Amino acid sequence: MNFLKAARYFLMTNFIGKPYLRYERKRGERKIAHLTGENSPLNPPLKITAYTKEFVSSHYFKGRYVEGVKPVAWVTSGAPIEILKALGFFLIYPENHAALCGARKVQMDLIETAEKSGLSNNVCSYVRTDIGSLLSGKTPAGKLPKPDLLVACSNICQTVLHWYRMLQKYLNIPLVIIDTPFVYNEIEPHQVEYVKKQLKNSLLPVAERIAGKTLKEKDLKNVIKLSKDATELWLEILNLCAERPSPLTVFDQFVYMAPIVEMRGDKETVDYYNAMYKEVKSRVNMGKGAIKRERRRLLWDNLPIWFKMRELALKLAERGINIPISTYTYAWGELAPLMNLKKDEFEVMAKVYLSPILNRGAGQKLKAMRNMVDRFKLDGVILHSDRSCKPYSMGQMDERNKLIEEFKIPAMLLEADQNDENAYSEEQVAIRIESFFEMLGVSHG
Amino acid sequence: MLKIPTRTETIYKFKAKGGKIVAVAPYHYPKALFRAFNILPVEVWGPPKLNTLESKAHIQTYVCSVVHSILAFYLQGNLEVCDFILIPHTCDSLQGLGSIFLDFIKPKQKVLTFYTPRERRRIDISFLSKEIEKLYNQLCEFTGEKPDFEELHRHIDIEEKANKMLKKLLNERQYLDIDDFNFYSILRTKEFLPAEEFIEIANDVYLMYKTDKPISKTPVIVSGLLPEPMEIFTIINEKNGFVAGDDLAITGRRLYPPSEGSNPFVRLAKSIIFSPPEPSRGDSVEARLKNLLEIAKRTNSKGVIFYIVTFCEQEYFYISHLRKGLRENGIKSILIDTDINQELSQQAITRLEVFLETLQ
Repeated sequence: MNFLKAARYFLMTNFIGKPYLRYERKRGERKIAHLTGENSPLNPPLKITAYTKEFVSSHYFKGRYVEGVKPVAWVTSGAPIEILKALGFFLIYPENHAALCGARKVQMDLIETAEKSGLSNNVCSYVRTDIGSLLSGKTPAGKLPKPDLLVACSNICQTVLHWYRMLQKYLNIPLVIIDTPFVYNEIEPHQVEYVKKQLKNSLLPVAERIAGKTLKEKDLKNVIKLSKDATELWLEILNLCAERPSPLTVFDQFVYMAPIVEMRGDKETVDYYNAMYKEVKSRVNMGKGAIKRERRRLLWDNLPIWFKMRELALKLAERGINIPISTYTYAWGELAPLMNLKKDEFEVMAKVYLSPILNRGAGQKLKAMRNMVDRFKLDGVILHSDRSCKPYSMGQMDERNKLIEEFKIPAMLLEADQNDENAYSEEQVAIRIESFFEMLGVSHG
Repeated sequence: MLKIPTRTETIYKFKAKGGKIVAVAPYHYPKALFRAFNILPVEVWGPPKLNTLESKAHIQTYVCSVVHSILAFYLQGNLEVCDFILIPHTCDSLQGLGSIFLDFIKPKQKVLTFYTPRERRRIDISFLSKEIEKLYNQLCEFTGEKPDFEELHRHIDIEEKANKMLKKLLNERQYLDIDDFNFYSILRTKEFLPAEEFIEIANDVYLMYKTDKPISKTPVIVSGLLPEPMEIFTIINEKNGFVAGDDLAITGRRLYPPSEGSNPFVRLAKSIIFSPPEPSRGDSVEARLKNLLEIAKRTNSKGVIFYIVTFCEQEYFYISHLRKGLRENGIKSILIDTDINQELSQQAITRLEVFLETLQ
């Protein structure tokens, strides 16, 4: 560790970042009650929104000064981070960063940079956003710390393998690939063994070498416990959305899920979700919904359209439509029961990281959707057919048909993209949504 | 000119002798394993120029034409003759296709899946050999047969001979006086012919077309999944060029090295793991570039045609880096986007022609 850098990190994060972000949070909390006017179809957001901003910003703020203080790893969203956390790594998630760029609507400039460098528009828009950011140095986060290690886990898509190979080429640092075979039916013992061996024999030695220390079992157990606690809390929060009216919309969840992806394994994350749980629960007790007049409730499938979140939230709320849950946000909670603290940690991690919804067959997703429709008392489903995310989107046409024909529930396919505005047609989306409103009986006419 | 058997002829001939057929999607799989069960793998790479209306009810339009064609071909009843369907996990789209088959379409045939690791470590060989063993056990269950190790080794040896023959033809391409369309039509019989028949045909081709002097045309390399539309060959040949080497999934990327050992599953696994670097195995930019440069050096090629099926993300990923690396080594390149169900556009033809002219 470089002591000058460590001192700067300590000073900047504790004496500049922390007080400033705390001040901003307090200011934000005061503003929240007045954020939505009398005529808005939305109720004011939770106070936790300001806390979320503070929490996430604080992570990126620390990232500006962390180089030379802690080892840094850039990882995929489905990477087994518990090992890295237990070794003291500071983590950055390029996917989350790309989503942040999309939500802040700065992604198209970055996408253009990437495409100018030769990256095809047939490649995922998260990749184009992130590579554009890397090449231009532009980021809404201020500055991303240069990594010492890259970890790509294939449990979300094959795209990440190529993406991280490219990052490796640009950054010239070690890359560890955790290959998680796709699970068409049930997880098989040889798949678990394979992932377990990769964690132990591929990831661990490289991570230990870079961290300059040996993994302690108690540290790993502690991180897994914190991961589990946060994941369970997230799941409980989402389950509160089964109440009528739902205390949250999916658009809130897309924002609140950032820490469960980026900062699971930290005590502060558990505190954050505890605070969120209390506030959400109190909303439920008051019978106060996220939207003022909840007439219909829908399920969202797939990633959000980051650059259109606010518009979509308002458009739906104006007709009394809430989306209380999505397969995407739920995916970050549903693995909590698999985190068995009494079993071998590597075995547990192998099973957990083989199990995400994106590493399972489309039939499994349909089953999950069906359960959500019942549990959350939903009236319809919007399946975002995301041009950038083939593993999530393939199977949706059959899923939609099954939902309509067998489960007798209205379902609509919405063609768009998570980050690329060029793949989004305002007019087409408006027409599709309007006709879906008619099906749901909430059209203006 | 040799008479090349068609897929249909081969299938019916094989079935008439009591064999079974497995339709195989692209592209890595343990061929010898199936042959040991008297099952003939017949690869489905399309077919090209198919009307894929039926598949559009299941798959979005932003998925590649190869995947659309496979599904449409099935939905049109063309795979009825097959006893099994194998969908290797080649990419996100084929992963999705496998899931659609298993979860929604549920064909009368057994649908098998197969996962190829994305690294080349010892643990990957170990996993893959278990994945192959799992496939073996499934086939035992479905067929009631249980070929022993000796039988498995025998088929591995035959397949390795066929691979060796493919390598010989590709390596000595510049001494074979045959046009590209016919050359690749012959090579592509390996997608459906029993290995022993392919060896025979490949031998005949070698003897029939082998010359002492290299072809005096401009050598080029083609990279991508498959050379569809095959008009590319006509254009290359008309412009006094020829395909001297390839980085195609149908051929060059499946030059599996010979294997040794007492366990047939490990032999098959090693052979797949150590196949040439390519996108579906998640290889690095450096490995891909090195491979292309080696082919260029061996064939004296000064140009690479990236013949990429639109929407195939993994083929597009490294293109700019590969082209830059080639350029730095004095090799020109061009990217042509294709759809296997459509004719090559006039614009693409003109670009190809101009590209070939610049190489001369």
